[in-house]
Amino acid sequence: MDTLVFWILAGTAVLSALAVVVLKNPMNSVVALLVTLLVTAGLYLQMGAFVIALFQVILYVGAVLVLFLFVIMTLDLKSSRERPVLSPRGLAAAFTAGIFFIAGAGWFASRGGFFPKTAVSPGVPGNGPGIREIALDLFTGHLLVFELASVLLLAAAVAALVIVRKERSRP
Amino acid sequence: MSLESVMVTGIVLFIIGASGFLLRGNAIVLLLCIEVMLNAVNLILVGFARYLYGTEGQVFVFIIMTVSAAEAAVGLAIVVALVRLFGTADMTRINLLKG
Repeated sequence: MDTLVFWILAGTAVLSALAVVVLKNPMNSVVALLVTLLVTAGLYLQMGAFVIALFQVILYVGAVLVLFLFVIMTLDLKSSRERPVLSPRGLAAAFTAGIFFIAGAGWFASRGGFFPKTAVSPGVPGNGPGIREIALDLFTGHLLVFELASVLLLAAAVAALVIVRKERSRP
Repeated sequence: MSLESVMVTGIVLFIIGASGFLLRGNAIVLLLCIEVMLNAVNLILVGFARYLYGTEGQVFVFIIMTVSAAEAAVGLAIVVALVRLFGTADMTRINLLKG
């Protein structure tokens, strides 16, 4: 049952990620990415990472994708004509990426999986590390990274303001 | 559902994002493809955190989410500035360096 749910979620994620790439209208791509992120949140839930699933929904779907939608709606990109999605050069690039993927997957399959079977298998819900363990690790072992992330967010906010500011005539 | 299936799903998602980044020309869709790739990496990190029963993987996912939010803000600001300057978001038409 768990395996079936996992493959349904994973298949939906892959299909909607393909829709992000293939669809021509950027608005449809954003909605397809929304499906991908929600389905990935479901995968996190199945792997017992409840905190990550919560923040995936709040942060990605609630903040980042809404920002994308705002920008698309304010820019009004309907008039701009895009080149066709499947150009020869792009197809060659995707073909190269697919060759690398098939080579890597074949190597991976020929090894028969190099992770020891003795460790806990993912997918048993309910017994992953909880929010207490994650918070303890974040605020003791990774406190410097946490503070640096706050500095990064401040710098990104200031940079976004500076970039979109109208150019004034210099004295 | 094993670690290998989680990894294969993540790798497929990453390949789709990378191929889309090479295939598409719209600047906003390029940013969306970056989000798809970051999401694939997050999925693999959570799978490994579950597999090894550690908290570091989930902490790294938090950091990646922060970086992703900052990247989306700065990237969308750059897209707005580009559209204001060129009138289009098609990256193939923005060729200032070609002279």
